[in-house]
Amino acid sequence: MSWTDGRLIDERRGILEGEGSHQKIRQESDFPATPVPKTYAQVPGVDAADPTYYGQAVLKQPVWIWTIPTYLYIGGVAGASATLGAVAHAVDGRQLHKLVTRCRWTATAGALLSTACLLHDLGRPVRFLYMLRVFRPTSPMSVGSWVLTGFGGAAAGSAILAGPLGTFAGAVAGLLGMPLASYTSVLLSHTAVPLWQESRRTMPFLFIGSAISAAAAMLEFGRFSHREERVITVFAVAGSVMELAGVAALEREAGRVEQVIKPLREGATGALWTAAKILSATSLVLSLVPRKSRKVRVLSGVVGTLASLAIRFAIFHAGKRSAADPRATFHLQRADTHQNLTDGERN
Amino acid sequence: MAKGFFTDTTVCIGCKACEVACKQWNQLPDDGMVFTGMSYDNTGQLGGSTWRHVSFVERPVPVSGADTAGMAWLMMSDVCKHCQRAGCLENCPTGAILRTEFDTVYVQPDICNGCGYCVVGCPFGVIDRLKDDGRAWKCTLCYDRLKEDLEPACAKACPTDSIIFGEVEDLRGMARLRVEQLHERGVSEAYLYGEDAKSQPGTEGLNAFFLLTDKPEVYNLPPAPVVPTKKGGEAWRSAGLASLGLLIAAAGAVLGSRE
Repeated sequence: MSWTDGRLIDERRGILEGEGSHQKIRQESDFPATPVPKTYAQVPGVDAADPTYYGQAVLKQPVWIWTIPTYLYIGGVAGASATLGAVAHAVDGRQLHKLVTRCRWTATAGALLSTACLLHDLGRPVRFLYMLRVFRPTSPMSVGSWVLTGFGGAAAGSAILAGPLGTFAGAVAGLLGMPLASYTSVLLSHTAVPLWQESRRTMPFLFIGSAISAAAAMLEFGRFSHREERVITVFAVAGSVMELAGVAALEREAGRVEQVIKPLREGATGALWTAAKILSATSLVLSLVPRKSRKVRVLSGVVGTLASLAIRFAIFHAGKRSAADPRATFHLQRADTHQNLTDGERN
Repeated sequence: MAKGFFTDTTVCIGCKACEVACKQWNQLPDDGMVFTGMSYDNTGQLGGSTWRHVSFVERPVPVSGADTAGMAWLMMSDVCKHCQRAGCLENCPTGAILRTEFDTVYVQPDICNGCGYCVVGCPFGVIDRLKDDGRAWKCTLCYDRLKEDLEPACAKACPTDSIIFGEVEDLRGMARLRVEQLHERGVSEAYLYGEDAKSQPGTEGLNAFFLLTDKPEVYNLPPAPVVPTKKGGEAWRSAGLASLGLLIAAAGAVLGSRE
């Protein structure tokens, strides 16, 4: 009997029914290679004004992978497209027929791709439907699951069905498109991650702006009438302006505590954030070019898409970095409490 | 009848019996035998298969009322706090995380679909998703033992009663007496961390609270944790306003493009 099962339980005698007995045994090769440990004469900085525990993270890092920021982008495109499609249909449905159809199919494809992205990230993908087991208003993810489900059904209905049923489904998709494009910011902010939590008031505006400009960018790839092209241009300009304003507002809000905004200013995530800003500004300039040629419109589409993707990935990865930095959490909470009443007693 | 822990760090001797008892009772797999170089702490942090963790803080700060020759050692057995307002529970979209009849926070392994939202919802960095397993795991406050009227394995194993299990109300009284006692003996830095809603409004109190003798940061505890739900209102309000922005942009684009 080898006792290398990781639990030190002799299976001839022990019964595996403890609370953690479902967990898999990990083999030597599953563990990361043990680095040569750093040795410390004492906990570094323990007697400093702002101590940490060996610089270790106080929070767990988000376990989400690349499909989540991708979903933030796709969900935005789908939501904003559905809303534009519904408004266009209601106001000038006959003139904007092609645009409306395009919006509805974009929304449907977006809903499908969004679901795939979310499913891929789950630890237990076969349990995806458990998302609809309950409705929990305190959980933005629960709210979002229901919104996405309703949105997907309505968008598909609007794309496939003709007549008043299609119109109704399109209107429902248009209404649900608004929360779909904006709730993703709440999804991030409704966490302990310092950067995301601290930018909770401004991130929705950034995400909606980004969703509008990304949806407009996606529409730039299509061939439309002059009237429809003007709709797309105005939509793109509005989105880019909101996106750029959102960036500035978020920097201001999260910049209250230096340590919190650090990942957006330094390192790879800082560089990505800067690139996102440049792309967003370029996208605005391209949208404003009068009487655009086909080439300029495609270029505008590419730049707008990249801008939105860069924003989502920068926010996502900067958040991961801020979760790994214990001082971001400590400084933010100390700044929030101000009152060092209990501290006075302690020291 | 809320059950919980009072962990008095002043009597912790860092024996890690709690870590071992927890692993054994819950039949948790090992997480690799690593040497971290961080004093006697080779576990590092709480995690999916580490539900008790003893931290070791070596520091050249004397403890009042004791002859420590200028060097003092702080040890603390960390655990899931079973918050009154639990970030993991309020973020869980599937209902896998629930509050039990003992007022503890429990993850049902047969429901959890591994969305990872509890991981970012916890302001203490307790709960984690296991890569190979795909689900989120944390301390259950020995739910199976409580049902049989037994105390949790860690408290049972603790040789100095640094970990005391009981009714939260009783534990609070006990803890306050202990602080008074320590203050009388000259350990003026002793204080309670998260014992009720008044001392930690962000979580409305912890069912597993602590007696500490230095800043929370020293033990890797957040100084003023807040359940995300408490700040969620502002986020939802902004999201509502921003959504209107989308509607206005769409209407503006359609109407503004008319000749």
